[in-house]
Amino acid sequence: MRAFLAATFCFAAAPAFAGIDEVIESHVLPGTEAFAEATTALASAATDDCTAQNLRDPYHTAFDSWLGISHLRLGPIEEEGRGLAISFWPDTRGLVGRTAAGLVADEDPVVESPEAFAEVSIAGRGLLALERLLFEDDLAGYSADSYSCALAQAIAGDLARMAGEIDREWQDSFAASLRSAGAGGNSFFLSEREAAQALYTALVTGLDFVADQRLGRPMGTFEAPKPLVAEARRSGRSLRNVGMSLEALRELAQTLADHPIPETEAAFAAALERAEQLDDPVFAGVASPSGRLRVEALRTLVSEIASAAAKEIAPELGVSVGFNSADGD
Amino acid sequence: MGLRTTTAVALLALSATPLFAQSKSDVLGTYANIAQAGYEDSFITAQRLKDAVEALISTPSPEALQAAKTAWLAARVPYQQTEVYRFGNPIVDDWEGKVNAWPLDEGLIDYVDASYGGETDENQLAVLNVIANPTFTLGGEEVDAAQITPALLEGQLHEAGAVESNVAIGYHAIEFLLWGQDLNGTAYGAGDRPWTDYATGDTCSNGNCDRRGEYLKAATDLLASDLEWMAGQWAEGGAAREAVLADENTGIHAILTGMGSLSYGEQAGERMKLGVMLNDPEEEHDCFSDNTHNSHYYDGLGVRNVYLGEYMRVDGSVVSGPSLSDLVAKADAGVDAELRDRLDVTMVELGQIKTAAETGFSYDMMLERGNAEGEALIMSAVDALVGQTRVIERAVTALGVDTIAFEGSDSLDDPNAVFQ
Repeated sequence: MRAFLAATFCFAAAPAFAGIDEVIESHVLPGTEAFAEATTALASAATDDCTAQNLRDPYHTAFDSWLGISHLRLGPIEEEGRGLAISFWPDTRGLVGRTAAGLVADEDPVVESPEAFAEVSIAGRGLLALERLLFEDDLAGYSADSYSCALAQAIAGDLARMAGEIDREWQDSFAASLRSAGAGGNSFFLSEREAAQALYTALVTGLDFVADQRLGRPMGTFEAPKPLVAEARRSGRSLRNVGMSLEALRELAQTLADHPIPETEAAFAAALERAEQLDDPVFAGVASPSGRLRVEALRTLVSEIASAAAKEIAPELGVSVGFNSADGD
Repeated sequence: MGLRTTTAVALLALSATPLFAQSKSDVLGTYANIAQAGYEDSFITAQRLKDAVEALISTPSPEALQAAKTAWLAARVPYQQTEVYRFGNPIVDDWEGKVNAWPLDEGLIDYVDASYGGETDENQLAVLNVIANPTFTLGGEEVDAAQITPALLEGQLHEAGAVESNVAIGYHAIEFLLWGQDLNGTAYGAGDRPWTDYATGDTCSNGNCDRRGEYLKAATDLLASDLEWMAGQWAEGGAAREAVLADENTGIHAILTGMGSLSYGEQAGERMKLGVMLNDPEEEHDCFSDNTHNSHYYDGLGVRNVYLGEYMRVDGSVVSGPSLSDLVAKADAGVDAELRDRLDVTMVELGQIKTAAETGFSYDMMLERGNAEGEALIMSAVDALVGQTRVIERAVTALGVDTIAFEGSDSLDDPNAVFQ
């Protein structure tokens, strides 16, 4: 990576935003391909043997690969609300539990048709609905001929469908749209700056999401910490999601920047190291003042990454942070 | 949170500043005048709601309940047009949760249907029902709720346990007390609370009618006083007006931030797209009254108002003046023309949702699983809002204000502020 960055730096006379190509080739496309493969493997495992025990490993692999691209909230992941459907969290009104349990209780025949299942509430689809089936005690004991089995197959198949669409749309059209920013006929990105700004916004929004949501939500307030709302706690993934997401965001930062970004690299390294040492896989520790303090320290380090990127990456690209889908409350 | 700035193109911003100095301050004056008028109208219509609520409590009848509902619906019209002031103006954003918090776990307030469920991971107070319980435990402490007062609602119940969906006050708490739960799912029909929920003696339905009336009155009084306070913040010498006028470029940036953040993240995303994707009628913004089509429409109109510098008050008079549109047109006529077009397209799309809802295809029906017409109606408006946001970003660039706010902005003075 470092060698490549140095090399691009030498061609400073080439396009103003060589980073856009690099992001697409070395970050986005390998990521969308890996997610498509992992969800296809999950779906085929579900077809072979849909029991919870058999699906947990491929489930983790699929979730891991989702974290490689989940921050790319522009283009194909934003289209048709795929990002929300793949991973509906935070779920502030407890809809995932209610919807998944409701489908099972009603034995809703919607699972029989992939087209019909694609219309089901996002609270009953995606990685977090599947998590309930695979990891929640009162749901996970289902047998191979049960309704839950058919539901697990439907969710896995639906994930593979969406992952395939994301990969194809990036390959077939959205990558070209980013690359041809500013050229005649490109009505989406009117300049290279707009394309660079969209990617930079994805970086900052992704860091915000880790700090405010993945870490901030379970932290709650000092008086009222909320360990139960940690992301994917039932599969024990809360901290793992933070680490893997930071690694993906580091790759985005490295590929987007056309020049060395030592401060940003150092900030990522510090946050990742802290995450590795945390030893609190589902942030249950936030319930105690000292445990909460440790999570807060990690959150501060994540915040510092965004400050470093604002100093090192944004000026070089001549961009600021644009509006993003997380602007609401 | 939108349009956070970096040190990026600071020099560009400096060179743009002197050119429009005078007109920028005029534009900001119009912006503040529209805010003042909008909050005054919200206060005026909340006072009418208060009168109607007092009449309902003193002389309960089907007509009195209907009159209160009508007053609530009218009160929403000016208020929704002020929502564009929320993002970009910290004074408004910090206060907004008191008047328009949503969604809510209404079981905190009053009786609910069994289908509502109980406590959740997020909220252990989801079925507290304060109207039925004169004492209860909150965070390990006994709370005396024998008298339901504005202080109890605001100080102890609202956001109890630091849970955002514990909404005890504001428009939506009042809406629930007037309409009750909408138990029609994605079929036609709003909440159907009987007027006898406010009756006295044996006629009282569902118990505790006196406490329910006490709650409704306390919440309505609070709403009116909160709105009056905000109108004052935008009057001559008020803190919100002063904050906007203090620095021209920061002020212009605040207008655009409010427009873009409401259009995209809040309205298109959180309120509209998410509802479609969850097929959940509770995701309607005005879910008890089935007034969501109007809520969305007047949000959109508010964005257009501040860009064009024109607002029609509830008495039919018009507040107008030099506009942001004028400024953008001077910087880049093409961007201005496109943004005006996009705002008009959005109003047409939102108008179609309103028309459909008013003629029998209500917003909750549009949210039904597999309802292709409803999804198309809502998603067309979402796409229009997302589209206008992209042009708002171009207006930010055209005016060169994308980098000024860091002078004295939260993001530089306190790096952590970015993440709040």
